[in-house]
Amino acid sequence: MRVAERIKNDGGKAAPAAAGPSARSTTSGSGRKRRGVNREGLEAGRRSTRTLLWILLAAAMVLYGFPFLYLLFTSFKTPIDTIAVPPTILPREWTLENYTNALGRSGVVASFINSIQTAIISTVLSLVLAVPAAYGITRYKTLSGRIFIMAALVTRMVPPVAIGIPLASMMAAMGLSDTPIALSIAHTTISLPLSIWLMSSFFEAVPKDLEEAATVDGCSRLGALWRVVIPVVSGGIAVTAIFAFLASWNEFLFALLMTAIRSQTTPVVIANFQTQFGLDWGSMTALAAVYSIPVIILTLLLQRKIVAGMTLGAVKG
Amino acid sequence: MSTRNTINRFATIGGICTAVALAATGCGAGGPSTTGSAGTSTVNVLVEAGGHAELTGVAEQCKKDAGVDVNFVELPYDGMFNRLSSEFSSGNVSFDVAALDSVWLPSFKDAVQPIDELFTDEAKKDIFPALVKEANVDGHFIGMPAWTNAEIILYRKDLFEDAKNKADFQARYGYDLAAPTTWKQYQDISEFFTRDGMYGTDVKGGVETEWLAHVLQAGSPMVLDGDKVVIDNAAHKEALDFYVSLAKSAPSGAAQVDWAAAQNLFNQGKTAMTRFWAHAYRQIPKDSAVAGKVGAAPMIAGSAGVGGVPGPWYLTVPKATKNADAAKKFVKCAYDYNDKGIESSLGLASRISAFEKYQDKEGYESFGPLIETLNGEATATRPATEKWQQIVDTVLVPMLQKAVAGGDSATLLTDAKKQIEDLLK
Repeated sequence: MRVAERIKNDGGKAAPAAAGPSARSTTSGSGRKRRGVNREGLEAGRRSTRTLLWILLAAAMVLYGFPFLYLLFTSFKTPIDTIAVPPTILPREWTLENYTNALGRSGVVASFINSIQTAIISTVLSLVLAVPAAYGITRYKTLSGRIFIMAALVTRMVPPVAIGIPLASMMAAMGLSDTPIALSIAHTTISLPLSIWLMSSFFEAVPKDLEEAATVDGCSRLGALWRVVIPVVSGGIAVTAIFAFLASWNEFLFALLMTAIRSQTTPVVIANFQTQFGLDWGSMTALAAVYSIPVIILTLLLQRKIVAGMTLGAVKG
Repeated sequence: MSTRNTINRFATIGGICTAVALAATGCGAGGPSTTGSAGTSTVNVLVEAGGHAELTGVAEQCKKDAGVDVNFVELPYDGMFNRLSSEFSSGNVSFDVAALDSVWLPSFKDAVQPIDELFTDEAKKDIFPALVKEANVDGHFIGMPAWTNAEIILYRKDLFEDAKNKADFQARYGYDLAAPTTWKQYQDISEFFTRDGMYGTDVKGGVETEWLAHVLQAGSPMVLDGDKVVIDNAAHKEALDFYVSLAKSAPSGAAQVDWAAAQNLFNQGKTAMTRFWAHAYRQIPKDSAVAGKVGAAPMIAGSAGVGGVPGPWYLTVPKATKNADAAKKFVKCAYDYNDKGIESSLGLASRISAFEKYQDKEGYESFGPLIETLNGEATATRPATEKWQQIVDTVLVPMLQKAVAGGDSATLLTDAKKQIEDLLK
């Protein structure tokens, strides 16, 4: 490997050793000068890379953050401001009227409770089913396991609208129409395949030696799973839980088809602000802003777990 | 060990949450439902979100008079068709009354039951003729119109009454500036006000209703004459050419302008006139630049007279409901107390007498023009084919968008004819 490449690869720390005998013979002023020039060049390169990364990061933040900020600002606008042509970003006059209207509308509070209820049940169902399934698939590498995990992926390829109507009919036939449990089961069909895949990758990252050590210490396989493996992948479980929760929290189509009076969730109520005869932007954005708060709080609370989960397996091997 | 404790804590919290959630699952937070309960005096009424307010007053009165309790199932317009299709096809409905957009009536005609007994001679006289005709499918009345709407002309009264504008207009066109009563006047006025960053009118490439009203005014049925596709006849071409000709007096990007955009432009004071659904007159925001400055006029007549395309919603009783008696009682209440809808935020009704009761009251100046438009000799409802929505979405709107962008009208209409014939095969 060329010296410059080595320097580049190890950040310049190993440069003298890596340079070899011929380099050692030039430890005079000119050699130090050249190394100094290299370091300066590297520093400059690093600075420009960092600047570029910051620009990209800022651009990504604007790209993802602006729609939400616009939604937030719109929720504080007066009715005429919300439909201004051309649109304004900041409200000309700040008002809480939209929040009063949105939260005062009948059914909104109930829909929040329904959303929370449905999302919790769906998340727990997903985890209860996905954790053992993923563990079994990764630890017992059988053909049926491989087929199963591929089949789980295939279900993600079917558009929800294709199964929505039959699923609604099945729930009705079982007498579960308009109940949060029916909607939770429907949401689990969305989140379960993803949960199995995510958990499989997390279990893959856990060395078998850990379980074997636990078994030597007297644990059964289930005991090793519960006492050793699960704590190790807790970050991964948190990540999976977040994804499952979000999948249910934001889901619209199944909620539209399966709920009515008792179990209507907030995404449907938000959509109700768009009618054939107009769109109440202010109230719609106000309710959407309020609806996003629990998810933001949940994400912040589990942030450390999520980061740990995301990096789980990154140092495998 | 701390990790294990954390896991245990999570498991405990998760377990408690699940237990609580499962315990509460039986009823949901929205209250009890009476789905499928036969012979009760409670009915579930499926309505589009905007229609809920229209029927609230009726529901209150119905409870007092007929002892019928009403639960509203509110759904967004875009999702309602899917929901109806799903429940009607399963034969298991969660509602006892469904409010249907007029374009859906042909699609669901076999899933709802006749309500002929509610269409007495007196009722038929008090409902606009086009709606009586539309409610009758295959010889039976299947839907009671709950509220209806039509496009009328909304114009900026302040600009029309301005002395300088009046003088300038008179000098330029040789007649008085007033609400237009002919399409030539509409064209002139649109041209006159297109200046200083303002436009005379809008052209909506994103919706088909307005162009179809011109077709009716020119004396042709819309798109279909029975089973025959007539979209390439002279009336359609004339209507399309006129529609496109207004684009020079309208904001650019007409292809993308739909109802919401046109309403916003008018409420912002960017257009001097708009052809729009009558309800918009009462929905001008109080802080709008045009609040209190808007006048209303009937839809303009063509060679065949005044013609508009009504936008009614019908109350129907599904065949699958187990609570048909109470459902029909509610539909009757909706007819009897039809004027209750006028005091709602949407402010519409379906009975002529209900509109007439309010037309002379302050704030309801749009009702006179609306009645005139709905009674217009050329006014007609959309063709009774279950493929209508598909024709609109896949043929008519794309064709209009191409036309307002400069496409050749004759070619576009010929192509559209072929596409519609293929759809109807």
